[in-house]
Amino acid sequence: MGRRRRRMDKEASARAGAGARTLLDAIAALSRSLPAGPNPEIFRRAKFDRPEAAPALWQLLFRLLAPLQVDRATASLGPGAQARWVKAVLCYLGYPRPALAQLPEDGSHGSRELLLTFSWLLAQGPLLEWLLAQTCVQLGDQVPTVECEVLTSPGLAAIQMDAEGPVDLRRLQWLMGKLRFQWQRLICSQQEQCALLSKIHTYTHGCHSDRNLGHLSVTETEMLRDPEGIHQQLRALEQENARLEAALEWRRYEPVFWQWMDTVLGACPPEGPAAPMFRSRIPEHECGKLELATLQEELQTLQEELQALRELLCEEVLSRRQAWEAQVGGLGRGPEWSAARQTLQQNVDQELLALQQSWKQDRSPSLPQGPHRLVKIKAGSAGAKGLPVAEVIRLLRSQEASLEAVLCKLQGQCQQELARLVGTVPGLIWILPPRC
Amino acid sequence: MAVLLQADCARRLMAELRGALDACAERQRQLEQSLRVSRRLLQAWEPVGTTALEPPPGSKTKKDPSPVSTPSPQDLKELELLTQALEKAIRVRKGISKTAERGRTPSLKSGSIALSPGTTASAVPQSSNRVGHCSSRTRPTKGIHQTKVPAKSHPELPLVRNRPPVGIGAQATRLESNHREQMTLSGYPHAAETFTLKEKGILLRLPMAFRKAAFQNSCLWTHLNSTQTNDATNAAKNQFLQKMQMSSSISSSRFSAVDVEMEAQCLQKACALLRLRMQEELSAAPIDWMQEYRCLLTLEGLQAMAGQCLRKVQELCTALTEQLTGPCLMRRPLKTSFPCGGRVCTSWGPQLLLYSSTQELQTLATLRLRVAMLKERIHLEKVLMAELLPMVSTQELQGEPWLALCRATHSLLCEGGERFLTILHEDPAD
Repeated sequence: MGRRRRRMDKEASARAGAGARTLLDAIAALSRSLPAGPNPEIFRRAKFDRPEAAPALWQLLFRLLAPLQVDRATASLGPGAQARWVKAVLCYLGYPRPALAQLPEDGSHGSRELLLTFSWLLAQGPLLEWLLAQTCVQLGDQVPTVECEVLTSPGLAAIQMDAEGPVDLRRLQWLMGKLRFQWQRLICSQQEQCALLSKIHTYTHGCHSDRNLGHLSVTETEMLRDPEGIHQQLRALEQENARLEAALEWRRYEPVFWQWMDTVLGACPPEGPAAPMFRSRIPEHECGKLELATLQEELQTLQEELQALRELLCEEVLSRRQAWEAQVGGLGRGPEWSAARQTLQQNVDQELLALQQSWKQDRSPSLPQGPHRLVKIKAGSAGAKGLPVAEVIRLLRSQEASLEAVLCKLQGQCQQELARLVGTVPGLIWILPPRC
Repeated sequence: MAVLLQADCARRLMAELRGALDACAERQRQLEQSLRVSRRLLQAWEPVGTTALEPPPGSKTKKDPSPVSTPSPQDLKELELLTQALEKAIRVRKGISKTAERGRTPSLKSGSIALSPGTTASAVPQSSNRVGHCSSRTRPTKGIHQTKVPAKSHPELPLVRNRPPVGIGAQATRLESNHREQMTLSGYPHAAETFTLKEKGILLRLPMAFRKAAFQNSCLWTHLNSTQTNDATNAAKNQFLQKMQMSSSISSSRFSAVDVEMEAQCLQKACALLRLRMQEELSAAPIDWMQEYRCLLTLEGLQAMAGQCLRKVQELCTALTEQLTGPCLMRRPLKTSFPCGGRVCTSWGPQLLLYSSTQELQTLATLRLRVAMLKERIHLEKVLMAELLPMVSTQELQGEPWLALCRATHSLLCEGGERFLTILHEDPAD
């Protein structure tokens, strides 16, 4: 009996040990697959809400949430500002737990709450894959281009901006002119860069060991010129490979981690009625308010437009329905007619459904996301794997056209508004500049 | 006529413009960096084993001050003179370009170097120090001649519109066109010792260790893309999320700001499409009663859809009002920079983009930049509208300053800052 119980105990503890082992493995894999991931021990301590784990988790969250291109600007942000940024972004993303907002920004405690926040982000989408793709070693040449995110860098810099006094309007005009000039300069440099890339690709045709790629990229060619570069790139590539392996390993152990997170959540004391504090604790940024206020204005305009549209449709439908009834009312209403009516109704329904799909589908833009390695192929050669540039160009042209229309419409609105305002002053004649 | 913007208005507008200018300058810096690298590769160099060459002197063409500097009154005056100055620069450059064309000697075509087809990079003869030294002074110029500005497609950029590009290259060409002519001629006898990408680039091979790591890398990415997360994981994940939501005092049906923003974009598109469709229907002339009935049904359907959209907008407005009482972001940045936005990506890791000609690549690059510029312009337009139009309408300013404000506002808002209108004051006595 006793021996049997001992054996059972042994098995149970072995099972528990194996469970703990897989959990440790899971956390270790997770930590290795994150960029500059914290020590696995941090996660364990966070479960017990140990204060020393908090700073590392704030940093991790900040690294995950701060857009990559503002790295330089963010380097100067202190831990307090980083924590505020994290809170604001999570609020923007709809993070459900108000407890986060109440954490002190000096990182003195709250590691369990931060672990929950991190896990929430992790559960939202393919975070690891996305991070890996964002930070992957770029050996290929990209289209020398500017994403709109890069042009409109988020307002981290604005956080630190000092207040200023009144400004001459001409200074604004000067800056606008300068911006236009800079854009033009960018276009010129891009053109040259494209020409140079194309040459390098042609000259190194057939040099790459990967047949799909065919030619070398600038980075690869540069590596052959500068051997130091080879070591650096090789190291980077090996690190990325290790992270990729860790991510694959993580996928195996992932369920164990989520079970563990359930217990972490269970260890949290139930929330008090904290909602009002949530509102008052975070300092309000005026610019941020304005930003959402702009969105609100947009919604307001949209509402008015839709209302006008609906009213117009309402009138048209009413008059047409009456006219149609009067015209057709006398005609026969036999079975033929009702069948035809049904078919028509079905056709129209289908058409309108397609219309509805067309704006719903567009929610995720069809333009390719993420970095793409440029590969030069012979014109008309079939069978190459990849996205043809011509297709992207087509998409961009339609995007360009619709953006131009939007801008034109806005300018038209301004023109009308100004004309109205100026109309209130008698004796002024406006001569518009000639259109070239 | 000086028109002063009040402090808070000025602060916002300046912050927006500075942000845009800084981002532009940063991008320009990066581009010039990669241009330097590419140019250097197209000159003579030694594959593996040479010390890094310094970037050619004078390659910096940055002449203007940093974007955040304050313009003095003199700067403002200079802005007006800028167009004239550019015109002159173009005239000078055009002349030089022609010289440079003539200067391109056929020496580059020499392909008579005997090397067995199997030779690897390391077997390419090491060139002398002298060649390395020379190459640091030679400048690639071919690229410059290929830079074309598709003039007609950029009507909003008046400063250099309908003219060849300025900036990069123009100065360099002037300084070094003579020198290069000598180089190509005197360099010819040494061609057998010189490595250039054009002549021997095809012999380059990446080292074995690197090829291995790159191969492994591409395998791992393929693996990551081909294995999906299993059901057990998804179930565990969802359970965790549900528990978290249940423990929260915030309702799960609440829209977050990012949701509102994405929905709003979607509805804007919907509104435009509905209007377009309505116009099509209204302008159609039905030839028989079937078509007429069909048209009527369509209009009724559109009416119902407009109603749905309207309800959705009202819902979003309510959600946003709640947001406005909460903490906020400085700008609305993240929808594309974080995978939470509901966007599903099916393939991670390096993807390929195929092109077949330089021109195709240039079109693509220009279009992408143009789209980015348009987005920025629309954003700026909205910001300027929100700040400047109320100033005009309150008419706190009177007389001349008000007219100056109107002119400036009209130019900024309706003409993209490129043109000005003229205001005639009609004397009522006449």
